[in-house]
Amino acid sequence: MQTPLESFIDHKADTGMQTPLESFIDHKADTGMQCGSYGIDIPALKEGEQYRFHFDAVACVGCRCCEVACNEQNNNPADIKWRRVGEVEGGEFPAFTQMLNSMACNHCVDPECLIGCPTESYIKIEETGIVIHDDDTCIGCQYCTWNCPYGVPVFHEERNIVTKCHMCHERLDVGQSPACVQACPAGAIEIEAVNIQEWLDEKIDEEGNMPFLPDARITNSTTRYTLPDNLPEDMKEVDEHILNPAHKELPLVFMTVLTQISLGGFLALFLGDTMSLFGFESTNWIMALLVMLPAALGLPLSALHLGRPFLALTAIKNIKRSWLSREAAALGAFIGLMGGVVALYFFEVNTTLRLTIEALTLSVGIYGIYAQAMIYRIRARPSWDRFTTNLKFFGVAYVGIFLLAFISSVLSLSDVVIPLIAMGMLGALAQLFFTYEDTRSLDTIEENQYQLQRTKRLLNENFARVKVGRIMSLVLGGVVLPLLALVFAASGSFGLASLVMLLALVISSLSEISDRFLFYTTVVPLSMAGGFFVGKQR
Amino acid sequence: MIQKIKDFLGFDIKAKKYKLSHDDTFGMISDANKPDKWVYSTCGYCGVGCGLYIGVKNGKAVYTKGDPKHDVNMGTLCPKGLSEHQMINSSNRILAPLIKCNGKLQKSSWEKVFTTVSDSFKKIQKEHGNKAVAVIGTGQLLTEEFYTLGKFVQLGLGTNNYDGNTTLCMASAVMGYKQSLGSDGPVASYEDFQHADTIFLIGANIADNHPILTLHINKNKKANKKVIVIDPRASKTSQMADLYIPINPRTDLALYNGLAYIVIEQGWENEGYIKANTNGYKELKKHLQDYPPQEVANITGIDVKTLYELAREFVSQDAVLSAWTMGVNQSFMGTDTVSAIINLHLLTGHIGREGTGPFSITGQCNAMGTRETGFTSSLPGYRNFGDMAALKEYASIVNVPEEIVPTSRGYKYADIIDAIDRGEIKALWITATNPLVSFVNQEKLRKTFAKLDMLVVQDAFLSDTAEVADVVFSAATWGEKEGVYTNSERRCNRTNKAVEPLGDSKSDFDIILEFSKYFEGVNEMLFPSWSKPEDAFTEWKKVSKGQLCDYSGITYELLQEHGGIQWPCNEERPLGTKRLYSADIPFRTPDQKAKFICGDWFPMAEAISGEFPVILNTGRTVEQWHTRTKTKTIAILNDLVPEAWVDVSPKDALKLKVKSGDRMSLSSARGRIDDVIVRVTGSVREGSVFVPFHFNEQLINTLTNDSFCPKSGEPNFKQTAIQLHSKKVPEGLVIQETEISGEIAHKKSAYEGVAFKEKELTISKA
Repeated sequence: MQTPLESFIDHKADTGMQTPLESFIDHKADTGMQCGSYGIDIPALKEGEQYRFHFDAVACVGCRCCEVACNEQNNNPADIKWRRVGEVEGGEFPAFTQMLNSMACNHCVDPECLIGCPTESYIKIEETGIVIHDDDTCIGCQYCTWNCPYGVPVFHEERNIVTKCHMCHERLDVGQSPACVQACPAGAIEIEAVNIQEWLDEKIDEEGNMPFLPDARITNSTTRYTLPDNLPEDMKEVDEHILNPAHKELPLVFMTVLTQISLGGFLALFLGDTMSLFGFESTNWIMALLVMLPAALGLPLSALHLGRPFLALTAIKNIKRSWLSREAAALGAFIGLMGGVVALYFFEVNTTLRLTIEALTLSVGIYGIYAQAMIYRIRARPSWDRFTTNLKFFGVAYVGIFLLAFISSVLSLSDVVIPLIAMGMLGALAQLFFTYEDTRSLDTIEENQYQLQRTKRLLNENFARVKVGRIMSLVLGGVVLPLLALVFAASGSFGLASLVMLLALVISSLSEISDRFLFYTTVVPLSMAGGFFVGKQR
Repeated sequence: MIQKIKDFLGFDIKAKKYKLSHDDTFGMISDANKPDKWVYSTCGYCGVGCGLYIGVKNGKAVYTKGDPKHDVNMGTLCPKGLSEHQMINSSNRILAPLIKCNGKLQKSSWEKVFTTVSDSFKKIQKEHGNKAVAVIGTGQLLTEEFYTLGKFVQLGLGTNNYDGNTTLCMASAVMGYKQSLGSDGPVASYEDFQHADTIFLIGANIADNHPILTLHINKNKKANKKVIVIDPRASKTSQMADLYIPINPRTDLALYNGLAYIVIEQGWENEGYIKANTNGYKELKKHLQDYPPQEVANITGIDVKTLYELAREFVSQDAVLSAWTMGVNQSFMGTDTVSAIINLHLLTGHIGREGTGPFSITGQCNAMGTRETGFTSSLPGYRNFGDMAALKEYASIVNVPEEIVPTSRGYKYADIIDAIDRGEIKALWITATNPLVSFVNQEKLRKTFAKLDMLVVQDAFLSDTAEVADVVFSAATWGEKEGVYTNSERRCNRTNKAVEPLGDSKSDFDIILEFSKYFEGVNEMLFPSWSKPEDAFTEWKKVSKGQLCDYSGITYELLQEHGGIQWPCNEERPLGTKRLYSADIPFRTPDQKAKFICGDWFPMAEAISGEFPVILNTGRTVEQWHTRTKTKTIAILNDLVPEAWVDVSPKDALKLKVKSGDRMSLSSARGRIDDVIVRVTGSVREGSVFVPFHFNEQLINTLTNDSFCPKSGEPNFKQTAIQLHSKKVPEGLVIQETEISGEIAHKKSAYEGVAFKEKELTISKA
C-alpha cells in the first residue's frame, strides 16, 4: 500500500545512513481507532448522509493535542483556535466528575452562519455536508460570529476575514485524516457518516447535546456526543469566573443610533409636510438636508467595523435570507431617497410628487430600521433576542423629532416647534418605558437565564455608572429640558428655546449612544464551556 | 503607508500564508511551513519517548509530526510534542557562552569560559580536594552525553559528588528496584497496558503527564478491563478510572503492606512462585502483622471492604499491571513504597508475563539513559558501587587505572546542597536543570548557591539558575544534536540532528569533550580519538555487554529501522526484550532471587498543625514542561496555563470566603507566596490543596520541605503543611478537631511510633 520512495532523510554523512522515508498517508497505525493514522477509512456517503464529528467525552483526557494539532495543521496563530477544549465539573470529592468538550465546527444541517452571511461566503458542500467558508468573498462583517450559537467562526485580525474549521475537507477529500482526529491519543474525536433525516427525527435530542452547549436544535448541529453516565447535578463551567464585556462595536453604536435619528427626523418632516397642506408652516430643503445628515454620516461609518471595507457594497448580496443584507440595502435606499427629497424641495418640484416620494422614503426607512433590529434578533445572543430590541431601535426616533424641533425653533417656526417638542417628549417617555422593560425582562424571560443573568451582572458590576447615566440623561434630555424649551417657545423666546433644545438634543443623543454601547458590550452569547484561564477563547 | 491603507481596506487576506498543499509523506499540510525534508527523531520532553519526524525548511525546524509506525505513539503526539519545533527557536535560548562581569552575564568565547572554569576547578580542587567540585546533572541529555559527562566527572575531575535531577523524580524507583530485584530497570512494556486485565495507576496522573500512554490503555479492548486509580487527588486521570481510590495523602506504603497482609491472610499468594523465585517471605509475613486491615483502613481512609476488594482485584485476574510515577517516588519513604508495590507482584507472581508487572513510568526523556550510564547511583551498566569485580571489569573494558574508578557513591542531590551550605563544596556545575524552581525550600537554596565560589550552568535556555551563574555554557538542544534516548519501557530511541545549533551554542557532547581538554591528560585517557557521539555509544555498547541493560546488539541503524529497541539487546535477543524477569531472565541478586522488603509506614515528617493545617500537594499540567524554560515562550501552550493556580475544595473556599478567580497567599514554615489564583474544585479534599510547580513567579517550592527518602535521597514534594491566606480571612483555616476519641488514641500512638523510629533511622544513618 505504500507509495514509492519519494523522499529521503538527509542524514549527517558521518553516520553513513540514508533511510528511505516512505509516505505515511496510506499507512494505518495499529491503534484500532481513527487516531494516529494520517489516512482515514470512512465509508462513502449514501443518499441523505453527511459527515460529522463524534466526540467521546468519556474517552477524552483533556490533553489538548487536538487544539495544538489543528493550529499546526492550519498555520494559525495561537489566538486563532478553530478547535477549543472546554471543561465542566461538579460533584464533591471523591465523587468528583470532570468532563471535557473538544469542539470545532458542528457542521450543522441549518447553519446560522450560512443563513445570516450577507455575502454568501458560507458553503455547505452538497456531497459531504461540511460547512466551509469562502475566504475570498468574506468582507469581515463578523455577523456569523454573532449568529453561531457555538461561537465557532472567529475573526482573524491579520487576514481581515472570518475563518473557521472546515473538517480538514481538503484532507478528507483525498482520504486523509483531519488533524484533530489524527492527533487524539484517546481516540475521542472521530469522523462518522450520519443520515440527516434520522438524526433530525429523533437522535439529535439524545446524542447531540452537551451540558453548557446550546440546544442542538437551534442550528441542527450534527456532532454526536458520548457522555458519562450519572453526571452530577451541580455541574459548572470552569470559566464561570471569567465574565468579560463583549466587543464595543463603536462604529455600529454610532451607525445604528444615527440612522434611527434620521428616521425620526424624517418622520417629523413628512408629518410637517403633510400638515402644511392644512396651513401649517411648510417644511423646507434645509430641514430635509439636516434630517438626512445623521444617516448619511452614520451608514458609511458602519463600513469601518468591516475587516475589508473596500468590499462593503457586496453586503447586499444575500437579500433573500440575511437581515444584514436587507438592512444595508434598505438603509442605502433610504439615504438615497432622502437625498432625492432634498432635491425635490430645493428645485421646488410639485408637492404631490414630493409627498409620494416622502411616503415611499419613510416606508423604506421604517423597513430599514426594522431589518436593522432583526439583525440582532438571533438565538445565539439572548440579551439581544428580545422584543425590547426592536422597540428601543425605533424608540430612538424621538431624538430625530427633537432635531427637527430644534431646527424649527432656530427658524422661529412657532406653530411647529411646540407640537414637535411635545411629540418628541412622548417618544422619550416611551423610550424610558422600553428601557425599563428591557432591564426587567432580563429576569422574567425564562429561556437562557444563565446568559441573561450574566448580562445583568455586566450591567450592574462593570457598567453601573453608564447605566445610571443613561437613565438620568434620558430623563434630563428627553423630558426635563424639552419641557423647559416648551415653556420658552410658548413664551416666544425662541433664542432660549433653541439653546435648551440644542442641549436636549445633545444630551438625549449621548443617552442613546450610551444605551447602545451597553447593548453591544453587555451581551453574553451562547457558547461552550471554556478553560479556567483562557475562557471561551473568543 | 500604502500598505497600511491597503491593510485597512482589507485587500490582502494572506491567502498564500494560510493555504494548504500536498506533502508526499504526510499529505495536506500548511504550505507556508512545508518542509524541504523530514528528519526521523524522538521527542525530547518526557519519558514516554514518542517517535516523530522534524520538518525542516531552509534550515529551520517548522513541524513535528508523530511517526505512525512507531510502537510507542503510533502517530500521535502530546501538545508539547506537536509544538516542539517552536522550542528550538525560543527567545529564551542562550546564544553564546556567558560570563559574569560586574554582576551581569555577558557574552564571551568558548575558550574564555573553558579557561575560567577549568582554572577555577583546578584551584579549588588543589586547595580543598577533588570533591570540593560537585556536579548536578539531568535526565535531559542524550545517553552518549551522559556517559561522557559521567566518565569525565568521576574519572577525569575525580569527584563522586555527582547526582542528577533524576533524584527529584526517579531515584526512589531506582533504589526500590535495586533493593527488591537486584538491579534498576523498569520491568514492563507500554503494550502491557493493552494486554492487562487490571491496571493500577498509583500516584500517576498520566492524563496530564504522559498523555500518550492513554493511547495504550484505550487500545485495550478487553471486556474485563479495569482501570483502578489510587491518588489522594481526583486528578484528570481519576476520570479514566473504573474504580477511584481516594487514599489519604502519603499513606501508600501502608496501603500496599495492608494489601499484602490480606493476600497472605486469604491464602491468595502464589506459593510456587514465591518459593522458586524469592527470599524473605517469612520476614515479610511477620512484618505485615503490623498492617491488619482495620489499622490500614484507619491510616489510608479506605474502608476495610474496599481493601479486600482491591486485594481481590489483584489476584483474581491473570494480567495485573501496576504503574506509578511521582506520587509514589516523591516521598520520604519512596524507596520502600516502590518495594511494597513490587512485594505484591512477587507474592502473586504477577511479573515477567504479558500484561503484568510493577512498572515505574519515568519522567524525563532520558532519565533512563543517565540511570544506566551516568555514574550517579551506580557505575555504568548498573554495576553497583563497591562491587570490586564489577569495578575491575569496567576499568579493563575502558582501559583506565582501577584506582581512579570510585568505589562508593558520593553525595546525593540534597547532600550536595548541604555540603555547599557547610562550605565543603566550593564549585558546582549544573547541566540542563533548574534547581531554582525545581528543588525544595527555595529561599534556603538561593542563599546556599550564593556561597559558591564558582557556579557553572550548562543549558540551552536562560533558566532562573543560569541567571545567577558565574559562567554559562550555551548548549544546543533537542533537534540540534544526535544520539539516543531510552524511555520508560527500556526502549532505546534514535534522535537525529535536524538543524544546526542556534548561535554559538554547542551540543553537550562537544562541550564536555572540549572542556576535558583543559585538564591535562584527561581527554587523552578518557576520550582517545573521540569526535562524535557514536564514539561514546560504541564504548557504551562494550561496557553494557552482559549487563541487564545490554546494548551490545543495538546499532543506530537498527533503532531507526524498528522505531527503537528495548534492552537487553544482544546476540541472543537481536531485537530486544519486551519485559524483564520472564522465566529466562533471572533476578539480578547474587542468588538470582528477588527479595521481599519489609518497609514501614511512617506518618508525615511534617504533620499538619494549628499554624499550618492544610496539606499542599504539587504536580504538573499537560501544557507546561518542568520549570517552563522550554514551554513558556510557546504561545499556544503558555496561553492555556500562563500561571500557577491553587485548587481549593468548596468547603475550604467557603471558610476562606474565596471563589474561583480570586487571589490568595500560601505560607509554610519556610516561606510565603502571594497572588495565586484560586480554583474552587471538588477534585481536592477538604484540608488539601494542589498547586503546579512549574512557575517561577508563584514559586511553590518556596514552601516545600527538606524531607528526603533516606535510601534514594528523593524529596517529599507531595505533602507540605501550609496555611492559606485569603483577603477576607487572612489568618487562614483553623485545624479541625478530631471528634472520635478512639481515633485520637490511634493517632497519638502513631506519632509516638514515628518519633521512636525516626530516632532509629538517625542512628543507623550515623
